[in-house]
Amino acid sequence: MTYFMFFLGVCFVLGGLAVASNPSPYYGVIGLVLGSVVGCGWLLSLGASFVSLVLFMVYLGGMLVVFVYSVSLAADPFPGAWGDWRVVGYGGGFLLVLVVGVTVGGPLECWELGAVTVDSGGVFSVRLDFSGVAMFYSYGVGMFLVAGWGLLLTLFVVLELVRGLSRGAIRAV
Amino acid sequence: MNPHAKLIFSVSLLLGTTITISSNHWVMAWTGLELNTLAIIPLIAKSHHPRAIEAAIKYFLVQAAASTLILFSSTTNAWVTGQWDITQLTHQTSSLLLTTAIAMKLGLTPFHFWFPEVLQGSSLMTALLLSTMMKFPPLTILFMTSHTLNPTLLTIMAIASTAVGGWMGLNQTQTRKILAFSSISHLGWMTIIIIYSPKLTLLTFYLYILMTSSVFLALNTIKALNLPTLMTTWTKTPMLNTTLLLALLSLAGLPPLTGFLPKWLIIQELTKQEMATATTIIAMLSLLGLFFYLRLAYYSTITLPPNSTNHMKQWHVNSPTNTLTAILTSLSTLLLPLSPMILTII
Repeated sequence: MTYFMFFLGVCFVLGGLAVASNPSPYYGVIGLVLGSVVGCGWLLSLGASFVSLVLFMVYLGGMLVVFVYSVSLAADPFPGAWGDWRVVGYGGGFLLVLVVGVTVGGPLECWELGAVTVDSGGVFSVRLDFSGVAMFYSYGVGMFLVAGWGLLLTLFVVLELVRGLSRGAIRAV
Repeated sequence: MNPHAKLIFSVSLLLGTTITISSNHWVMAWTGLELNTLAIIPLIAKSHHPRAIEAAIKYFLVQAAASTLILFSSTTNAWVTGQWDITQLTHQTSSLLLTTAIAMKLGLTPFHFWFPEVLQGSSLMTALLLSTMMKFPPLTILFMTSHTLNPTLLTIMAIASTAVGGWMGLNQTQTRKILAFSSISHLGWMTIIIIYSPKLTLLTFYLYILMTSSVFLALNTIKALNLPTLMTTWTKTPMLNTTLLLALLSLAGLPPLTGFLPKWLIIQELTKQEMATATTIIAMLSLLGLFFYLRLAYYSTITLPPNSTNHMKQWHVNSPTNTLTAILTSLSTLLLPLSPMILTII
């Protein structure tokens, strides 16, 4: 099981690498899918089943689907593909950063590791991930309202940035 | 822009600033910073020409990367120490990451490269917002965590910022880029004193807001985006150009104007802390800034441009008079005699 979790962790980093070294967003989104599926797996291993399913539904089923719909409307006619030299450059650069970070950070012991599962809450009778979301509606209602306002603001910002079709200079069509 | 959208963006700017400066939990501080970043993107890209869009995208990328670093720093600190209090950032790596993040947010050297280009791509009013209000939340975070940050790193960044702000501003002909480098230079002065006396940082910031607002508003009234335009406006608004001269010299830090007060107090405090070398270096580097402030002041009042007659003021002008500019310019030139009272207030 440990090796399986380690494999999921490697897939997470490789997914991030695919996103960062993408030649065009249509191919980079594959890295996002891989990274989020594997991230759900990691959350499940810690016992946070509710949050993992929320991530799956909202991220993959909401954000990525909307991304696919919007790029299908405004698609680049000749996007770059994986067989480009830029991909090798980006991928090599990020792998170098990762290797240097791990080898330098290891002996310096910058990070102290440990894993806490969702059942180690002490006197809680409800699991931590459920009760965390429930707190959004009780003690954390201020943050809830601010987060809702932030999402509404994001909508207005995106609408303002892409209005004007191709005269808006963010869209190509 | 659509008035409803403009209202939402303005309210979100105020909301984000208020949330960050009044927060004691890292997640709320981060939320306020993200609200600010999101809300100002359409304001930068308002004119929808390619330079403005490029400036908006550069701003977004830099600020998003800095917010990510703030999240990493706070979550690492929470992992190690078990608490999310802003004033208790005790883990070394976290405070280093936070210093980097705040330097990126503010535009301190070596993370200053985005600032002149973003200012050049936005209108003068948006550039004023970017130089004053958008600096307030990161400076507040720096103020709250100042006792846990590395003094050597902050001093090096401060001296480098003053150097870069001075030297890079010398070759500029666009007024917004000149004011961007002036902002970087003033941030250097604010950062060098934050370890020893955070209240002087805030005083420098408040007086900088006064002075730079009066300069930006004056430039907005005469619509001077570059030096040639500045040279020909003395016939239209001679009084405004004269007060612009005084406001620019105040920004440069010349006594007996207001801008001398923060530099004077910072030099005094640094000397008391046995930092005479750093004091001398930063004071010398500010002389570079004095040169381009003097050049701006000279062009706004004294030079006769080659393409006009030696006429006096035009008989009919259409520049509106602005009370706010008058108030801010008076404050930014005449506050030095009140310095004992100011010292008791901060």
